[in-house]
Amino acid sequence: MKFSDITIRAGRSLKQAKARTLLTSLAIGVGAFTITLSLAAGVGGRAYTDQIVSSNTDVKELSVTKAAPKQQTGPQKYVENATGVSSVSTALFSGGLLNRTDIEKIQKIEGVVSVSPNYNPQTKYITRSGQEKYIASISTFSPSVTLEYAAGSTNGDLAENEIILTSEYVEALGFSSDQEAIGKTIEIAADKLSAPITAPESKIFEYTVKAVSSKSGLAFRAQSSLLISNTAAKSLYDYVSSGTRSYDSFVLASVQTESAAQAKIVKDKLTNEGYLAQSAEDILGVVNTFINVLQGILLGFGALAILTSVFGIINTQYISVLERTQQIGLMKALGMGRRDVGRLFKLEAAWIGLLGGAIGSGLAILSGIIGNPFISKALDIGDINLIIFTPLNIIFVIVGLVTVSVVSGILPARKAAKLNPIEALRTE
Amino acid sequence: MIEVKNVTKTYGKKENAFVALYDVNFTIPDGASVAILGKSGSGKSTLMHAMSGLDKPEKGQIVINGKNILTMKQKEIDKFRSSEMSFIFQSFCVQANESCYDNVSLPLEIANVPLSRRKSKIEAALKAVELIDKKKSRARDLSGGQKQRLAVARAIVNSPTILFADEPTGNLDSVTGGVVEDLLFGYNKKNNVTLIIVTHDEDLADRCDIQIHIKDGKIESIVGIK
Repeated sequence: MKFSDITIRAGRSLKQAKARTLLTSLAIGVGAFTITLSLAAGVGGRAYTDQIVSSNTDVKELSVTKAAPKQQTGPQKYVENATGVSSVSTALFSGGLLNRTDIEKIQKIEGVVSVSPNYNPQTKYITRSGQEKYIASISTFSPSVTLEYAAGSTNGDLAENEIILTSEYVEALGFSSDQEAIGKTIEIAADKLSAPITAPESKIFEYTVKAVSSKSGLAFRAQSSLLISNTAAKSLYDYVSSGTRSYDSFVLASVQTESAAQAKIVKDKLTNEGYLAQSAEDILGVVNTFINVLQGILLGFGALAILTSVFGIINTQYISVLERTQQIGLMKALGMGRRDVGRLFKLEAAWIGLLGGAIGSGLAILSGIIGNPFISKALDIGDINLIIFTPLNIIFVIVGLVTVSVVSGILPARKAAKLNPIEALRTE
Repeated sequence: MIEVKNVTKTYGKKENAFVALYDVNFTIPDGASVAILGKSGSGKSTLMHAMSGLDKPEKGQIVINGKNILTMKQKEIDKFRSSEMSFIFQSFCVQANESCYDNVSLPLEIANVPLSRRKSKIEAALKAVELIDKKKSRARDLSGGQKQRLAVARAIVNSPTILFADEPTGNLDSVTGGVVEDLLFGYNKKNNVTLIIVTHDEDLADRCDIQIHIKDGKIESIVGIK
């Protein structure tokens, strides 16, 4: 018997037991739905983190911190004149701080193009003549970070007296539009920390607004910070911190290398020197591991659902064999071989799998399309879709389910193939 | 020509053994109509199953057109059955949910007849049993007589050389039964097809060329072989 004829007959038998077929397929559909969605969420999640990391970091760049000292049990002994200033260290950066010697040491490592410590100047307020004063956090502008601008642009770098504002500050500082702020002067006040309390000293730094950054679903660094150039940050930092104990100690330094490959080599060297270096890839890896674990859990649920439906298929097909004993007898009497009879029932199972896969992934796609805007809105990530369906994944799910169904159809199919035609014809 | 030589068939083992057929011998010429008569349990159905290769007697030979079907491999027997034999059953065995057309199509599909040649064969068979106007109706909507006529159409569609009928009129009233009988004998005479009817209906048996009476697994008498 031809494969196509068996396939058509298999499909027709299912059509005759519509409710049963549909219900069995729905059971598989639940699994298909879960698996399709979790695959899509995995793809979307990874694409999203990929975008985040690539627009916030540079593959040629390494973030360097001081490595944590070897873990010891019990309280640590105090060491006189230990490197770094432990009083500033936080739970996150327990490894101590980088000082000038460290920076110079890193600078000398082969392959390092430049090292820039992460200045985090503490300012008092930001204002504009005739406007209120606001608290602001200042970060360093990095050309490797992708920013979206609401107005103006940077041509890759900032001059020392230039600043990038965020839309929120534009409004707060009394500009009527983002565009209007461009080219205007704003003032940032900072205290000199080492000045005696009795004679406080502070200074106003003036900057020209070069651009206004808009809120982007991808940027996590630039969202609330105002950005100034590295040199500007340094002079601000020098004014604020010189003379204090923590002056010239940094939590983090960015190391620029020539290429992504070079970054890897430098990373190893830095590790040998006792520093902790993280590349863009590392950060991506950490986030992706998290996504993969979540996806794995979801896939596990899907697999469980499919496992349950396997028993459903076996049960349905056994009933089908019983119901159609006479038909099987007739077909065998007419000369249909055992293999073809078995194939007929396996193909019926395959149809159920196909139907279930189609229903499940169809519903998943539908709910993904409907759900994406809501998810993006709830997570405040703009136009980015977190659920991405790839044709390959859909095909993978459907083909996988058809295979699973055929495998579950083996036992009932064998029962059908083994039926003795004489016995089978005797049943009414 | 069908030659049945020394066929013995036993069911069960040892003390439970039941001899269904014991040393059965006869020869049926091509194109004959044969009635196998006997009470229920006499072994007449077993004989039919053995002759069609559905059952394997442990002793003897069944030689059809020079080939012993008992020594054939399962695949060969299946192929032989699909191309040379056909069956009609007391309980019709038509697929209630399928259309008449699809019911008749089944033997052609099993025999691997190409799609292009099926339509004309199916329509010819349905015409022969006067069910062509019911082509698209589902078999469940047919009356008992129509169902058996459909079964006849299914049996003749692939032009078999041997037609087995197991109590073909057993479930029908005399009028509709008569129609089915006429169809079977008409086909038998017109196409020179060997017709083997298993029955306990003497009237039906009388219409056959040969009557083989069987009792307790043994041949009681054979009437009609020239």
